[in-house]
Order: sequence, then C-alpha cells, then structure tokens
Amino acid sequence: MSDKAELVKREETTPERSRQMPAVSPVVDIYENSDEILLYADMPGVAKDDITVNVDNGKLTISGVRKLAAAGAANWAEFGDVEYSRIFSVPQAIDVAKVNAELRDGVLKLHLPKSEAAKPRQIEIKAA
Amino acid sequence: MWTRVSDFDRMFGAMDLLRSRMNRLFTDFDRAYGTDYGWVVAEGTPRTNLYDAGNHFEIKAEVPGMTKDDLNLRIQGNYLEISGTRKADAPEGYKAHRVERGAASFTRSFTLPADVDTEKVEASLKDGILTLTLPKAEAAKPKQITIN
Repeated sequence: MSDKAELVKREETTPERSRQMPAVSPVVDIYENSDEILLYADMPGVAKDDITVNVDNGKLTISGVRKLAAAGAANWAEFGDVEYSRIFSVPQAIDVAKVNAELRDGVLKLHLPKSEAAKPRQIEIKAA
Repeated sequence: MWTRVSDFDRMFGAMDLLRSRMNRLFTDFDRAYGTDYGWVVAEGTPRTNLYDAGNHFEIKAEVPGMTKDDLNLRIQGNYLEISGTRKADAPEGYKAHRVERGAASFTRSFTLPADVDTEKVEASLKDGILTLTLPKAEAAKPKQITIN
C-alpha cells in the first residue's frame, strides 16, 4: 500500500510542464484577386530571420518566434516572448514556386500567386 | 482494504489534477494571450510593457503595421501619452476573405512611476515594436549610500 500511495503522490508533485513560450495565432487578413491570394499577418517583434513560411501538401504554415530584449525589472508586462504560428489550407491552384513574402513593421505580407491554369480566362466566341 | 485506500488516494490525486488544471484555465483567461489574440488590449490600445532598469525606464509597445509617421508621443513630467493611427492596408481590387486586423486609432497615457528627463527621451521603432528609453530625473535615480 505504501508503495502505491507514494507513486500517486509523486505524480502530483511533478505536474506536467507547460510550454515555456505561449503559442499564439497571429491575426490575419486574406485577400484574393484573379492573379493571387494575398495574406497579411501581424507579427510584431519578430525578426525576419525568425519567421518561417512553409507550403507543403496544401498546407501553408507560418510561424515566428518573438524574443524581447528587456532591460531591468518589469513594472508591468502585457506581452512577452511568444511563438506565433498558424496553419492554413491553400488551394491546389497556388504556384508554390512563386510564393514570396515580405516583412515590414511587424506585418508579414505573403503573395500566393495562382498558377496559370487556375486563372480565369476569357473565352472568345467565334462567329460560325 | 489496502487496495481501497489506494483507490481513494488515486481519486483525490485525479481531483487535485483537475483543480490545478481549472486554476490554470482561470489564470490564462485573464491574460491577453492564449484565449484572445491580436495586438490590442480590451480597450483597443496596444499592449505595453514597462521596465525599470535603475537609471532609466523602458517602455515597449506592440504597434504592428505602423510607421513612425503614424505614431505620436508626448511627454510632460512623468506623464506620457502615446497615440497613433493604423491605416487600412487593404489592397485595391481584391476580394476580402478574412479581415481580422482592421484599421484603428488609439491613445494611451501613462503616469510613470518617477519623473524623467524629458529632454533625453529616445524612441525607436523596429519590427512593429516601439521602444522608448526614458532616463530618470536626477532626483529619481537610485543612489548608493555609504555607511559611516
């Protein structure tokens, strides 16, 4: 009995570790026109090198880590180090090779061009 | 009998675990992260941090998508006001699928814990984070006291 009780207590004293960095989905705007899909994501404080954008098997993953270099003791802190990550499904019509991204003022702008075959086409009617 | 006791023990263990999970849920609830995302606190102003580094204060604020022309900083004594406008960056001729970011303007003011030297305040903007360095006024700086 004593063995078992100890085993149970040990479980309680070592609760599961939560992740060190909270994971947050960045807020995004998604726009589309006939040529491309345009995605904006707010990722303040993430440096260019800390962002990864991955398109794989119809899934677009954007993630980035923010490391704040803070001096001194915090009187108040409403935000901290955080891991941004969000996954989207992208249609097959996206030309993966031409996807490009830019980062400005903490906003990631992602251009996802549609492949030629997926672009709308005007069909000309021939007179018979 | 002995097996019963360990059953009870296990049950209480499970209840304790549940209670600690509930506690974590409630503490998380209060925080801006985890439950809600975005760059603003409930009142519609950017989140800020204030650090006290002995000789100066440092304020950091999340201002994604804003350039230095969009932000306005005013300081008087120990009163600081940050205001700004985020312009809509919706492109022309596009159909919107999802709009979570939106344009907004805000004003946030602080009373700093001590007077600062307003002439030497520096501000910088990098990757959507505004950093203000506010040197404390002479009277507010920490002093080393020697024991006689």
